Amino acid sequence: MISRREFLDYSARLALMLGLGTSAVPRISEALELLSSEAPPVLWLQGQSCSGCSVSFMNTDAPGPAAMLLRYLSLKFHSTLSTATGDVGMDIVHSTIERGGFYLVVEGAMPVGMPEACKMGHEPMTDLVARAAARAKAVVSVGTCAAYGGIPSAQNNPTGAMGVPEHLKRLNISTTMVRIPGCPAHPDWTVGTLVHIIKFGMPELDNELRPKLFYSKLIHERCHRFADYERENFAKQFSDDGCLFKLGCVGTNTYADCTLRFWNSRTNSCIPSGGPCIGCASEQFASKASFPFYRKTESANKKEDNRS
Amino acid sequence: MAKTVIIDPISRIEGHLAVRVEIESKAVKNAYCSGEMFRGFEVILKGRDPLDAQQITQRICGVCPVSHGIASVLAQDMAYRASVPSNGKLARNLILGANYIQSHLTHFYHLSALDFIDIQAITGYLGKDPALNELKDWVKVQISSGQVYPGAPFLPRYLGGYVKSSDLNITAIKHYLEAFDFRSMAQRAGAIFCGKLPHAASLVPGGVTEKIDSQKILAYRTLMQQIRTFIVQAYLPDVMAVAASFPEYFRMGKGCGNFLAFGVFREPSGSQNTFFPSGTLVDGRLTPFNPDFIREYTQYSLFSSPTGLEPSKGESQPDPKKQGAYSWIKAPRYNGQVMEVGPLARILVSLADGKNQTIVREINNFLKDTGQKPENMVSVMGRHAARAIECKLVADQCLEWVEQLIPGRSAFTDFEIPESTEGIGLTEAPRGALGHWLQIRDKKISRYQCVVPTTWNCSPRDDQGVPGPVEQALVGTPVSDDRNPLEATRVVRSFDPCIACAVH
Repeated sequence: MISRREFLDYSARLALMLGLGTSAVPRISEALELLSSEAPPVLWLQGQSCSGCSVSFMNTDAPGPAAMLLRYLSLKFHSTLSTATGDVGMDIVHSTIERGGFYLVVEGAMPVGMPEACKMGHEPMTDLVARAAARAKAVVSVGTCAAYGGIPSAQNNPTGAMGVPEHLKRLNISTTMVRIPGCPAHPDWTVGTLVHIIKFGMPELDNELRPKLFYSKLIHERCHRFADYERENFAKQFSDDGCLFKLGCVGTNTYADCTLRFWNSRTNSCIPSGGPCIGCASEQFASKASFPFYRKTESANKKEDNRS
Repeated sequence: MAKTVIIDPISRIEGHLAVRVEIESKAVKNAYCSGEMFRGFEVILKGRDPLDAQQITQRICGVCPVSHGIASVLAQDMAYRASVPSNGKLARNLILGANYIQSHLTHFYHLSALDFIDIQAITGYLGKDPALNELKDWVKVQISSGQVYPGAPFLPRYLGGYVKSSDLNITAIKHYLEAFDFRSMAQRAGAIFCGKLPHAASLVPGGVTEKIDSQKILAYRTLMQQIRTFIVQAYLPDVMAVAASFPEYFRMGKGCGNFLAFGVFREPSGSQNTFFPSGTLVDGRLTPFNPDFIREYTQYSLFSSPTGLEPSKGESQPDPKKQGAYSWIKAPRYNGQVMEVGPLARILVSLADGKNQTIVREINNFLKDTGQKPENMVSVMGRHAARAIECKLVADQCLEWVEQLIPGRSAFTDFEIPESTEGIGLTEAPRGALGHWLQIRDKKISRYQCVVPTTWNCSPRDDQGVPGPVEQALVGTPVSDDRNPLEATRVVRSFDPCIACAVH
């Protein structure tokens, strides 16, 4: 087992991650101890997903994925990690649902208009998720696809895809819900929200059911290129210095803490790498063809107009 | 009488795959692969701004987003006649290479290893390693807890023959835990040049948006050296040890025996050459790859679009209730032939091509060390071996490419999007040959088609009724207990299927 000191160190890092400050450390330690002794069952189901939110979840570093699985939650079934395959796997899913009292994590959109477009164990995922949600303690929609429909529900939406809360609302399922949008969801957002729910109950949510901890401020407000915006020092082409607003950056209306938190263990993030924020954590992400990610085409058009 | 066994879902792969096998006299007689999830990326891309494509197509797959991003920017480079500076090409290779390593480590340790390694051996562990002792205590507490299915997600599993050596089991379990850190480290290395992973921010036609400086070069090199050490000291030896414990798997899961590679990791110089060469192997004969020979068949796929279309004219109209169809995956064929793609295809094409002595040497070393013949590589174990050999080659190569970056020099050249144009982006994802076909009219995407590695490998029958590579590889596989079809799942997982990719 890990030492007490290591344990408190984890707690402190987790408290920091959750933005709770050091006074919360004892409560966090208690939460983690509770998790390891009575690890609450978690059922992770994938709808129309790319598994990117699972891959991102595996990038968690404090605590790491092994610690997450052994100490903090009892992952009953996850189709990317479970040894159980086929009927055995489905039996775990069914019996977990039957027992109730678990937390349901859903990754991926729900093809409500074409239920054949996502099935597991011969059952449409739209039915399986509804059945599980009705008996879950809470439903956590991880990633923009599960939260709002994401790319599967973008314009032309061939499968009638939508987010999990919307799907459940149509079926009058009133289980507590939380959205963790992002394409993918940052591991800290997923891990931080799960731990908070399990120990402290539902974190404070905004009117879109997102934890305020992670989604209360605009990318733009905490962007390190904010001064460039103020000085109207705009990048004109990719790879330029300066604010990326005129290349299409939508950090000005996207709520998430990427510019503060950074990605992959604080290595980098979209805007620092020269990539305009494409608003992957917002409900409108990719939804309309008339609202492209980059404004390159527009500026090129203007250039041609000026020439003619 | 054949008995039908349906394995649904196949866990520890990416996505929603169901496999139906007919078992007769304790061996698979017939097999059917069903991709069970469809989103319609090609339909969604229609009418959009072409620059959206490299972002949207990355979301086809969270395991290999970079490959889709690269295929998309290559198609756009061609369509816009964009020239990519050397730094841009190198950075793309470094991002892609890091993602290969992440994918391969995850595949062997977290997806496949527990098909061979006995996780329960941990209860007999007597050493002092804290991580292993924690796992041991956890397993003990779980088993005595009276929960429904204690020990998930590591238990239960199919009953069958697992590794008997407790040393090998313990070593591999230790590496299973450590591999979490190294795969995540590979994602960090990639993110140095692409903002974040999964779903890279910096990939654009004309290069990458990331600026190259010496700190980033040093950071990448430092991470990659540590990852390489793990590959050399853990991954390759573990694959060899598992192979030595299951030599019969060098003769199982052969499949169609034809191989296709598009080539990957463009050289930073002006040439179109790639580190892993392109080519096809049919009946062991190497011929140059020609993209015009690709057709996608849909008789057994859940689409109403015409069958036999070439990708540049491809359509993807869903028909979820189509009679006789059993998969969302199309059936791509090359010159009418069933082809396997993936690390094994890349390795065998490189070996037959023989021009890259670094690759040839690495394969020959493996064959010498394991006492296997080249033809035994066409097997379950050969696929695992090819992946591990390739992983080391990619790490070595990344360490060379990173030294070739020139700090301060641009990694991007600007471009203009023509009114009407076309482009093809051919590359290789960790799972095999990947192509994006792009058509632009009025500066908007008028057609976008992706032919993806697992589309080849997990394809259903084609219009001639010929089964796909995994379906063929399953035939003849001995299954000692049809309630625990462990052998069949080992064959399927050796291909590292990704259904989100295959259907998209």
